[in-house]
Amino acid sequence: MNPLHVKAIARKEFYHLIRDFRSLYLAFIMPLLLIFMFGYALSLDVDNVRTVIVDQDKTALSRDFIRKLNASAYFEIIRHLDDSRAAVRYLDQGVTTMVIVIPPGWTQDLTADRETSVQILLDGSDPNFAGLSRGYITAFVEAYNRDRLLSFLNRKGRETIEPPVDGRIRVWFNEDLDSRNFIVPGIIAIIIMIVGAMLTSLVIAREYENGTMETIRSLPIGGGEFLLGKAIPYFLIALTDVLVAVFMGQVLFGVVMKSSFWLMVLASAVYISVALCLGLLISIATKSQLVANQMAILITFLPSLLLSDFVFPVGNMPKIFQILTHVIPATYFIDILNGIYLRSLGFAHLWPSYVILVGMLIILGNIGFAMLKREGM
Amino acid sequence: MNWLRVRELVRKEFIQLFRDKKNRPLLVIAPFVQLLVFGYVLSTDVRDVRVAVLDHSRTRESRMLVDAFDANKTFRIISYPRHAGELEKLLLRRKVDIAVKIDPDFSKRIRRGDSSPIQILADGSMSNMAAVRIAYASLVLDRFNQHMIRELYGQRLDYGRIDARVRTWYNPNLDSRNFFVPGIVAVLIMILSLLLTSMAIIREKEAGTIEQLIVTPLRPIELILGKIIPYIIITQTLMIIVIAFAIVWFSIPLKGSFFLLVAAACLFLLSTLGTGLFISTISATQQQAMMTVFFFILPFFMFSGFVFPIASMPTAIQWLTYLNPLRYFLVIIRGVFLKGVGFEVLWPQFLALLVLGIIVFTSAVKRFRKRLD
Repeated sequence: MNPLHVKAIARKEFYHLIRDFRSLYLAFIMPLLLIFMFGYALSLDVDNVRTVIVDQDKTALSRDFIRKLNASAYFEIIRHLDDSRAAVRYLDQGVTTMVIVIPPGWTQDLTADRETSVQILLDGSDPNFAGLSRGYITAFVEAYNRDRLLSFLNRKGRETIEPPVDGRIRVWFNEDLDSRNFIVPGIIAIIIMIVGAMLTSLVIAREYENGTMETIRSLPIGGGEFLLGKAIPYFLIALTDVLVAVFMGQVLFGVVMKSSFWLMVLASAVYISVALCLGLLISIATKSQLVANQMAILITFLPSLLLSDFVFPVGNMPKIFQILTHVIPATYFIDILNGIYLRSLGFAHLWPSYVILVGMLIILGNIGFAMLKREGM
Repeated sequence: MNWLRVRELVRKEFIQLFRDKKNRPLLVIAPFVQLLVFGYVLSTDVRDVRVAVLDHSRTRESRMLVDAFDANKTFRIISYPRHAGELEKLLLRRKVDIAVKIDPDFSKRIRRGDSSPIQILADGSMSNMAAVRIAYASLVLDRFNQHMIRELYGQRLDYGRIDARVRTWYNPNLDSRNFFVPGIVAVLIMILSLLLTSMAIIREKEAGTIEQLIVTPLRPIELILGKIIPYIIITQTLMIIVIAFAIVWFSIPLKGSFFLLVAAACLFLLSTLGTGLFISTISATQQQAMMTVFFFILPFFMFSGFVFPIASMPTAIQWLTYLNPLRYFLVIIRGVFLKGVGFEVLWPQFLALLVLGIIVFTSAVKRFRKRLD
């Protein structure tokens, strides 16, 4: 391998990039946009569930119940209605996702120490949202019940009883339960796939489409040199993107790494190389920019978004997809990121993922090399 | 306007599209693969929560607590580690989602009438799911407490308890698939129509054949129509097939009117085709167009409520989502699929799609014509 040849190819590719200002611009703006979107605007957490109240009892006690509900950070009462049918219309239109109906005679039952109920209608279309809302409202009612039990015991003149079990729930790894803390690191993996695989999937296909592949073939350049030269500019861009993303996550959104920065850089470098290899492979195989682009979305971007334990847990998937996740590079990279960002794990714990990524890199690199050879390089 | 010329252009476009063998998988297979993968994979259901229990007490009471967890169908106890180090390792390695630690004097304290602390460690890394798991765990504890109080004090505590009767509508089993699959149909339509229209024109530009088209007697509006009609036909056909597939394969209930969906898709296509046209005016190469399409798709996708609830966004962003056509289309498609609501409920969304579509489409056409002249 001649470094001069590599340099020449890299320089040529770099000119292509610079000349196509938009590609360059998008290669840098897109990651910023993504980090900004996920850091600032997108969250899977739920607070202020928009609630419609139908109070058919209208007593001091029911109003007290509603007041407490509204005071909680999880609920926001947007309407008071008298008719539960009108409330259903709000549910149909999607204006609200929760309707709470306090039945008539509620207070009477309670003061007579009879069990009573509140009816809660929940829009279940979004299961994540509905599951969280259901959790919040049942917890709220249970807490309300606990207070009532204590005051009941006081009334009966008995010393207060402590609840037999006091559950002390501690959350690990993401103490304030902020979805940002796992999404922002995950975004780094997505950015790498966009810049690494999707941009590079076009670069060799372009040579074929423009007919310049013939020229390159006639040059005294080896397949390895060609691949390396094509990859280097994109490697540098992707690495810069990663560093910018890490920096923004930390400074703007307080998403901080719990273990070593260099471990993260190492993992990124390996993963970027894997992504570049994939992109170039697709490019050689398809020889058409449009198809390459589709393939890149289908086999690099989507899997790393969907099958990598990023937002959608692998445990919920059918067995065949669970098996599939093992051959997806993003799975291992996300595992490393998760370890570094949330679990403060070191290399001692994470090395298997590194080894697998390096193994994938070697395999993909060799396949690319072989394919180019068959093409006559 | 000469419809004959438009028809010929449409025919040329179809021939060009299907003659290229490489386009066929893109048009036919890709949407199905995406639907299948999305349908199976997108799920934030909380079930099968993996639990590890470290029981230092090993008494009747502690076993009752463990049984309470085991009996709940959300939880699955998969490991009984022997010491705290092992328990923590399980959490660190992501082998379990929740770890329960019971102290040696657990029963003694309960029988004394004291409160006995137990530690529940939850893996919070996926915060949304962790929050639901924690809520379920506290529910188990609350029920256990009520049971124990009754047993300890040997009397019925009729204190006027409030029973929260939660009824979940539209998607009673909180099945993620019912939520995501209809949304995927919308997203697929968006991606296909945006990508195909922008690429169709860029291809001519790149190949230089756009010059030939311009010198033909085709008028700009005919050119636009000829370039757009094929993709309206293709996306609508695909939508119908994909919806049928979703209903049959994933048994997603379609509670409302199918016709309403087709109508909504037409309005939605106004916006996406307009955007595709616009992209083709600002890009010179396919690579540029692809990047720009992606640039549009991402915010459309993210700020539509497809995965991330709009209600959880900052208020300013929530206002911005009103400019997103996908937002309205999702409300319609989910409303029709899951809620079975009709036009009388969904008309604001239809109106919004119409207005947005007309604005986007006419300005794109204007810009495109200027470019041609």
